[in-house]
Amino acid sequence: QQTTQPLINSTLHGTVLDATTKRPLPGATLSINGTTHSVSADANGKFSFITGQKFPYTLTITFIGYVKQEVVANGSPITIYLKEDINQLNDVVVVGYGTQKKSDVTGSIGSVPKNILAQPVATFDNLLQGSVSGVAVTQNSGQPGSTANIRIRGGNSISFGNAPLYVIDGFIIYNNNDNANVGSNGTSVNALSTINPNDIESIEVLKDASATAIYGSHGANGVVIITTKRGKKGTSNINFNTYYGTQRVAKKLDLLNGSQWEQLVNDINLSDGVAKTFSASQIAAVGAGSDWQNSALRSAPVLNDELTISGGDERSRYLISGDYFNQQGTVQNTGFKRYSARVNYEKNVTDNFKISTNLFGSQSLENKLYGSAYNSINFSSAYSNLLLTSPIAAIYNANGTYNTTNPYNVTPTNPLQDITATTNKTTLNRILGNVAGEYKFGSDLVLKITGGVDLLNTAQDYYAPSFTGSPAGASNGYATSGYASIGSGNSLSWLNENTLTYTHTFNEDHFLNVLAGYTTQYSKNESSVASAQKFPNDLTSYHNLSYAGVANLPASSSNSSALNSYLARINYSYQHKYNLTLSERADGSSKLGANNKWGYFPSVGFSWNAAREDFFKSATKTVNDLKIRLSAGKTGNSEVPPYSSLASLAPTNYYFNSTLVTGIAPIQLANPDLKWETTTQYDAGFDVGFFNNRISLTFDAYYKKTSDLLLNVPLPLYTGYASELENVGSVENKGIELGINTDNIKSASFSWKSNIVFAINRNKVLNLGPGITSYFPIAPTGQVSPVIVQKGLPVGTFWGYNTNGLLTASDIAKGVPLLAGVPQQVGDTKYVDTNGDGKITTADKHNLGSAQPKFTGSFTNTFTYKQFDLSVFFQGSYGNKVFNLLKQSLERPTLSLNASATLLNRYSPENPNGTVARATNSPVPQVTDRYIENASYLKLKNASFGYTLKGGALSAIHAKQLRIYVSAQNLVTITKYTGQDPEVNFYDNDNTKQGIDYGTYPSVRTFLAGLNVTF
Amino acid sequence: CKKLNENPDSVIVSSQFYKTASDANSAVNAVYSTLNSDPAGDFPLYGRQLNLLTDNAGDDQIYSPSNTNPDVRALGTETYISSNSRIQKVWQQLYYGINRANIAIDNIPAIQMDTATNARLVRESKFIRALLYFNLVRLYGDVPLILHNPTSIDLSSLQVPRTNIDTVYSQIITDLKAATNLPKSYTGANIGRATGGAAHALLAKVYVTRKQWANALTQLNTVINGGYGYALFPNFRDAFQKPTKNGVEHIFSVQFETNLGAVNSTQYLSQSFVSFNTATFPIDIPADSSVYKLYSANDTRRAVTFYSSVYNAATGQTVVYNNAYTPYYNKFVDYSLTPLTTQAQSGINYPVIRYSDVLLLYAEVQNELNGAPTPDAYASINKVRTRAGIANLTAGLSQASFRDSVFLERRKEFIQEGNRWFDLVRQGETALLTAVHKLPAKSAASSKNILFPIPLVEVQLNPLLKQNPGY
Repeated sequence: QQTTQPLINSTLHGTVLDATTKRPLPGATLSINGTTHSVSADANGKFSFITGQKFPYTLTITFIGYVKQEVVANGSPITIYLKEDINQLNDVVVVGYGTQKKSDVTGSIGSVPKNILAQPVATFDNLLQGSVSGVAVTQNSGQPGSTANIRIRGGNSISFGNAPLYVIDGFIIYNNNDNANVGSNGTSVNALSTINPNDIESIEVLKDASATAIYGSHGANGVVIITTKRGKKGTSNINFNTYYGTQRVAKKLDLLNGSQWEQLVNDINLSDGVAKTFSASQIAAVGAGSDWQNSALRSAPVLNDELTISGGDERSRYLISGDYFNQQGTVQNTGFKRYSARVNYEKNVTDNFKISTNLFGSQSLENKLYGSAYNSINFSSAYSNLLLTSPIAAIYNANGTYNTTNPYNVTPTNPLQDITATTNKTTLNRILGNVAGEYKFGSDLVLKITGGVDLLNTAQDYYAPSFTGSPAGASNGYATSGYASIGSGNSLSWLNENTLTYTHTFNEDHFLNVLAGYTTQYSKNESSVASAQKFPNDLTSYHNLSYAGVANLPASSSNSSALNSYLARINYSYQHKYNLTLSERADGSSKLGANNKWGYFPSVGFSWNAAREDFFKSATKTVNDLKIRLSAGKTGNSEVPPYSSLASLAPTNYYFNSTLVTGIAPIQLANPDLKWETTTQYDAGFDVGFFNNRISLTFDAYYKKTSDLLLNVPLPLYTGYASELENVGSVENKGIELGINTDNIKSASFSWKSNIVFAINRNKVLNLGPGITSYFPIAPTGQVSPVIVQKGLPVGTFWGYNTNGLLTASDIAKGVPLLAGVPQQVGDTKYVDTNGDGKITTADKHNLGSAQPKFTGSFTNTFTYKQFDLSVFFQGSYGNKVFNLLKQSLERPTLSLNASATLLNRYSPENPNGTVARATNSPVPQVTDRYIENASYLKLKNASFGYTLKGGALSAIHAKQLRIYVSAQNLVTITKYTGQDPEVNFYDNDNTKQGIDYGTYPSVRTFLAGLNVTF
Repeated sequence: CKKLNENPDSVIVSSQFYKTASDANSAVNAVYSTLNSDPAGDFPLYGRQLNLLTDNAGDDQIYSPSNTNPDVRALGTETYISSNSRIQKVWQQLYYGINRANIAIDNIPAIQMDTATNARLVRESKFIRALLYFNLVRLYGDVPLILHNPTSIDLSSLQVPRTNIDTVYSQIITDLKAATNLPKSYTGANIGRATGGAAHALLAKVYVTRKQWANALTQLNTVINGGYGYALFPNFRDAFQKPTKNGVEHIFSVQFETNLGAVNSTQYLSQSFVSFNTATFPIDIPADSSVYKLYSANDTRRAVTFYSSVYNAATGQTVVYNNAYTPYYNKFVDYSLTPLTTQAQSGINYPVIRYSDVLLLYAEVQNELNGAPTPDAYASINKVRTRAGIANLTAGLSQASFRDSVFLERRKEFIQEGNRWFDLVRQGETALLTAVHKLPAKSAASSKNILFPIPLVEVQLNPLLKQNPGY
């Protein structure tokens, strides 16, 4: 039998090399177009074709992580250079103290997508919402410049800091809003609002221990690494970015109008057995009465103007930007303004020596709604005061002045006038700058020395004129004949970092990167508050306290802390297939007990790029990328105030012969063993790409256990101390995270991309120390705590009664259990005897859910058609509860305050099928399932539509790029929550009191239009 | 590289303190301050918190519609349980003070300073410690007897059982006997401190509570005849006025001052007046008009104890309060304030022991010792009645009738002054329950109410603490 020899028309030998490093690329696949003939490059990158094809013919060369290339072969030999595909695995990501090839990363790191970064927002923490899986963000209130509550993979700590660490251009900021709030009145000011979000080039979120452990004692709550924009080599750009918009309150509450309210008062009179206050003709005459809620609201503009000049040559890069942002509040006399400027500069002084600096300065001005501090005796907020004002009181007099003769006010004042006339102003000045020098010893070793400083200066000014009646308590303007308070705070943090990085490739297979460093950070905070009252008139406001008749005791404070750290990390990769990261950080903190200053935080991470294995090659057309990651490690948290371990004494006051004397007494016992909270975290995940990354998916599952919690452990009260800060107890968080990016349609003129982010986190208190199974966090004076911290439940679980409609006559006849201590009758709330003991007592209170969502997610779709682009961003949260404290007060009938329109359906003999309890005089508000509401929501957070100018029109105006857009924010909210916004935290960042709504500043809906042009 | 040792510049730590005479003074000021302020910013022990137990739970007072705290209402309806936050707060505040007194008593003797002042400061601390323990045993029964600052934060070392009431009383008596050596009176900047007379008077009250009549008589005789100069104010009103504070009738008072500038020391009973708006209610409400009706029309105490109308200087009109809850309490309303609604600034002291208390105790003791009221007993109670503008007590009463008359007189004299509850408890369970059951709102009262429960958190943290019966 004869075999037919193939016809040989050409023989081709060649080499495939990396275009940059000129290293061979073993395993690169070469195929001849139009045939099925393909070969692979050998270990030296060499290949040969013996083929029936004649020269010239076209080769297609593919290799994972490199751009696919087509080459026309004219003869042998041939050298083919492949370029790394920077959009894919070899993209460089920012990690702690450096950057890393994405392919080699072992940790779980999420990036905020570019299209979200481009959204116009006031503060950058808004950008984190829904953009990275596992990052839960809740806007605490609608007050411009206010705080957001950010949790990465759940909250680890019960008593102290759960906010992530921020690293801005290498400078470590543990955001402590306390530094921005000195003698503040009302909701707290967000220190991060000082940063201009338009300056940000990228945001990376480090989530697992492999990524965060290099930040040691700072890292337990996750790390947000922010890199600002900088100039690029060989460019020279002038960019102007502007937008203008208008905001409206997203939702108003339904309240009783004048005649409805008078009927309510009459019903209360009925239950009191006294004569009706209002006659039928009076009720008819009053009509709708005053709409106090509406009176303070307005549509308010928001605008931003920014100019950025950037560029670079062979040796240096620069970026200079200036920004003006102004957001007026939808409530009168409120708003937020920021002026900021940035200079980023880099220069290669020699081939081996590079210097760089990032310098940022800003001034933020915030006018807040006042409100007394939440734990004061009569806590109140200006907005809830407004809602509670009786609708039969006129807002204005006939001559247009404010009516101050509301018969139901304790003082002759007007709540709208209170809002417009009270000054509550915060000025924040921030300078954040660092300078770095990098010296290269040979080709492998780099020494980097960085010095940086963060200066935050706060001034808070408050003046309640003598004719204003709020807030209740010590700073009430009417009661004090004018009350002025000035607070100032200075916060300094400096940081020095010294790192050595050694990078080397051995035998072209072993990639090694070693980091070692020593850093030291020092912080000092000082604040002082002075206040005075009894002003002869209101002319000087807060500007000159010496006009006051009475000076209040001034207060001041000062503290400092230091953190010294040694850090080391080894990244090792074999052929970019098997990657290992080992890191260790030793942190010494001054804030901890004398016996436990130092903590050690190791981590290990491993990843495997399975798709680079030979056996996977056949599948790469479908699954082009598969990486499996495993990591474990420890991180810490030491966010206790300085001096927490010492037996400190506090001042107190008494009077002898009517003269103030100072007493000094211990407030805490010494705890020299005070140490770190330690979070041990395990993470397993994979990244997979299908169809050349048309679909890419990232999945992580994690388990975190935080032990040695820094907890204010209750002591027996007979010791004279309520609690002691100790390291006891533990909390776990476990969950899964999923991120999916898809290129649904990709054609020359039309594209559609989707991005799905999904996360589940379960938080549970494992242990609260010996002998303690639960405790109630301190409630405001006179209130009953609506939350409990209990073993086996999430931190801050709502705790209250179940109800089952209203008591009926047959219930009473049957003798159903009634609430102890209160005379109950038909039409009153029927409480459920949960424990079946035949009585309704506080023992029947039980778990009513928590503010922690069962899952959070977002769904973004981006469409482009020719020069048009459309982006639609949905974000939601499921399973979270909110305690609607405002509704509870608005449903409490009184003889003087307005109430919710839900009371229209109250039980009465005329309305026996009413679903709301009958009207009685000031019933005790109980924490019940009626007010622990389902606050799951889905929001259309952002929809924007843009047009990018191209071609001749662009060159006609000498521009390189121009985009105009319109955008709507917070357009639709789908929720069963009956309050203003299911995203709410009256108690700000207090871990145990999340999800409580007591009439915070209303959230807004914004429409805006913008222009972004580069010359 | 920064050193990691902390050298706080804004906080004093205990190792730096208790060195000088000034430190000793400050330590004792801190003991007194536990009477008029709360470290956590809650209402003060005297001037609010204690009254929630001794008055709101008693038969003089019911909860107010403006009191939205269910725990306060539970006290007003005798339905409180061991987790009641107010019962816990009173316990906590009493022990706060005891701890500060313990620290002063342990640390001050070692301080190099004038020995007389040193001894005086220790005795003042002992007086306060005794006063607070006296409140504790009367409210809760057996309580842990703590006499030193804890040296460890280890929970097991802090768990101690309740100490028998007799042992606690003997400590109270020891402390008060030491305190009887305090000065008879003070001048200038020291006015308001505990005196030897206050120690004798309190000791007498302790003995009366223990029914040790002879011992009580000795102490009362010392207070009355020992040259302390105590007397009744001619006008009952002057016992609750700013200009007459720390006057002849005031044996020991908790000090409050207008315009403190300082926080946490609000005499909150002044909130009996809150507004000229008649639709709002004060935080404390007299039980019902039956309390008001105890007084005869010519009893000058009635107008001092209650109001039903207030003159509004701003409008020139008198506002009349007339509803189911009126008249309201009046004793602690500070009418010197402008505007009147700023009662948070009230500067009226809270009297712990007044001379009229001593006179009525004297009448009671004489009656108990002699099996029938003596002329001295009559003379004593009649001094109080005469000052009130009412006729002398009917002569020739039996021992039991005289006893009842003394208790009735005490009730009328001391409304809102924290005596009534203890006076009922002293007469026994039946007397207590009969009295409170007269109010429909308090029908839930039962024999367990003779003592308040040990706060639940304490029992949970320390299994050695056995709860009072019935809770």
